[in-house]
Amino acid sequence: MSDDALLSSLLSAVAAAPEDVPLRVHVAGLLAERDRLTEALQHCTHALAVEPGNPAALAMLQRLTTLLAPQPESPAATPPPDPSPTGFDWRQAEEQVADIATPDPADHLIPSPTIEDIERPKVRLSDVGGMENVKQRLEAAFLGPMRNPQLAKAFGKSLAGGLLLYGPPGCGKTFIARAVAGELGANFFNVGIADVLDIYTGASERNLAQIFEAARRAAPCVLFLDEVDALGQKRSHLTHSSSMRNTVNQLLSEMDSLGGGNDGVFVLGATNHPWDMDSALRRPGRFDRTLLVLPPDAPARAAILEYNLRERPTSSIDIGKLVAATEHYSGADLAHICETAAEQALAASMEAGQLRPLTTSDLVAALREVRPSTGPWFATARNVVTFGNTDGSYDELAAYLRKHRKL
Amino acid sequence: MNTAAERVAHLRLLGRLDDAEEQARSALAAEPTHPDVLCELSAVLLAKKRFDEALAAADAATGAAPEHERPHRLRGLALSAMGRHPEAVEAGYLAVSIEPEHPTVATAYAEILQRAGRLGDALNVARLVVTMAPHTADSHFLIADITSDMGDMVTARAAYTEALRLDPQHALAQHDLAVLDLRARRPGRALQGLMQAGALAPGQSTLLPNVAAVLWRLSWRLRICIWIATIVIMTASGRSAGQHTTVAQLLAIAALVVGGVLMWHSSRDLPPQTRPVLMAALRSDVPLAITYGALALCVLALVATAVTGFALFGAFIILVLVALALLAVVVGLFRRGRR
Ligand SMILES: Nc1ncnc2c1ncn2[C@@H]1O[C@H](COP(=O)(O)OP(=O)(O)OP(=O)(O)O)[C@@H](O)[C@H]1O
Ligand SMILES: [Mg+2]
Repeated sequence: MSDDALLSSLLSAVAAAPEDVPLRVHVAGLLAERDRLTEALQHCTHALAVEPGNPAALAMLQRLTTLLAPQPESPAATPPPDPSPTGFDWRQAEEQVADIATPDPADHLIPSPTIEDIERPKVRLSDVGGMENVKQRLEAAFLGPMRNPQLAKAFGKSLAGGLLLYGPPGCGKTFIARAVAGELGANFFNVGIADVLDIYTGASERNLAQIFEAARRAAPCVLFLDEVDALGQKRSHLTHSSSMRNTVNQLLSEMDSLGGGNDGVFVLGATNHPWDMDSALRRPGRFDRTLLVLPPDAPARAAILEYNLRERPTSSIDIGKLVAATEHYSGADLAHICETAAEQALAASMEAGQLRPLTTSDLVAALREVRPSTGPWFATARNVVTFGNTDGSYDELAAYLRKHRKL
Repeated sequence: MNTAAERVAHLRLLGRLDDAEEQARSALAAEPTHPDVLCELSAVLLAKKRFDEALAAADAATGAAPEHERPHRLRGLALSAMGRHPEAVEAGYLAVSIEPEHPTVATAYAEILQRAGRLGDALNVARLVVTMAPHTADSHFLIADITSDMGDMVTARAAYTEALRLDPQHALAQHDLAVLDLRARRPGRALQGLMQAGALAPGQSTLLPNVAAVLWRLSWRLRICIWIATIVIMTASGRSAGQHTTVAQLLAIAALVVGGVLMWHSSRDLPPQTRPVLMAALRSDVPLAITYGALALCVLALVATAVTGFALFGAFIILVLVALALLAVVVGLFRRGRR
């Protein structure tokens, strides 16, 4: 008990003196002892941002990265990280962007992106329920290096190239990408399937080059290519459509031209079908890092259910029971369950002429009607892992399938 | 084509069939008789295998633009998928009469004829397609598909090979060529082809069943080899099967060595990924797994003969092989009945 009192008093001390490097390193050590590695890493990278090269902080970073590296089992009950005010180091980022030539006048002819395209998401990683594994990998592979570009360089880690989130539908890829942008406090430039169709049909006078250009002008920003397989299909599938084939080539060269993250544009991609993507997109400097986003784990399911029930009349819902009964369900499935149950409770209320709140048994009944929608995805994934994992790029998926006896 | 139809077409090409259907339906809500959108909706529904709805959309398109070929072509394809062959052929013929020089239209007509069982006519149309688009892999794939249905394996193989030469990434050609190899009793090559097809397009659902079919075929070869070896050993040792005989011992050793060399020889060209694929195929087919388990026991019995010189182990092998044959017959009947 006194242990945690100590920790929380130290945490408030850190909040009061965010630049105190030895204090941060100490706190990181205490957090690491409690297995709260993600938070520890955040403090550590923050310390290094204040004082790059601090030996104690470097040693701590090394210790944490070895602890984080191979994660055979997710730590049983790690509490979600506090929404601590860590963030992207804008000073550093702005210095990096400073020496980029100002666009020449012709550039002003390019229609600027509409306001809805760019936003600053308010969601943080702490709003993402559970999924500790994913958060740790994000911290180690993306957020940490981005907060400490110099340090990342010293470790030979390049900021060039994007991170590709993949996994079954409705399991939070888009949500997590927004949280990453929120975490960095960066502009978030979302390119979705509708924009892709605009490009293909020439509907909005905008093409991929202009989207990247607009992202550069909004730098520092996260350029999120949602459903990136639609932009980067295997070129061999596209023998019938030269416009689609050209777009793939354009995407390849645009990603190459972002070399080193010097433009302050960081590319995140998401897809349900990485195996349909042109393999050239997975080469170094492009989407060379992948992150598997699986169906929500128990804490994530609890968070999603609570979120979807928060504005509905309920009475004594047994979240634990529902969580136990919804393994393999996606976030979207869970939302659908809540929707269905609410419809039924509404119908019952109208029949009774008075409000009858949602109960656990409404939700259990709805659950029987809604089957997990991730089944077909896993059937394909199984085939992909058996036939297509020659270079080990799906090892993470293979390990999951084996663990859940789906292989 | 208007923008709405174009969007639907792109979504369909990207495999997002649900989104495509939704887009098409919302475009039709504003303009219910737009022939291009109706055609796109029909094509999406065909891809979703909802044939009667696809036919309804194509019918509506035909009403809206009877002078276009596409509505007729889609009608033909839907009718053909529903088994209404005479009407399908009629619609397909109408499409090619409107647009006689277009390979896509002729391809659809050839497919309709093929499914109607008029293979000779289908082949004639396919030859026309090849003259219209000689450098397109799909033209040769069409010839290959029809000739393999006709049992003309030589032409089929040549056409598949040509399709793969033009487009080495043609997963379907790779897959169907492997099936041809399987039917031609070349299980080693079939397996190699299936592995390549799987690497190109791992999403195909027929991959594992076909690998299992290769394993069934191989299991028959193994059975015959083991059977012959056993009979030879038992005959050679004659009355003294219950005792140590040098001849039984030597024959068993010879059988094991020859079998081992043959196994190594036929598997040396297979890619390293083959082993997990074979394991997955075994796991997906329980009788097959039982068969291979029992065959492993037979090999063990041969090893026992080689070590002890007792030919009597052969009795066990014969028992196991007879039981396996019964199992194969039962499974075969059951599976045929289900199909
Ligand atoms: N870990 C989580 N915590 C809270 N909410 C979640 C979590 N995972 C998913 N959700 C919720 O589930 C819903 C679906 O997630 P999202 O749209 O991000 O999935 P996706 O993987 O992008 O799906 P698609 O492949 O269909 O685009 C969202 O509304 C999101 O709020
Ligand atoms: Mg998404």
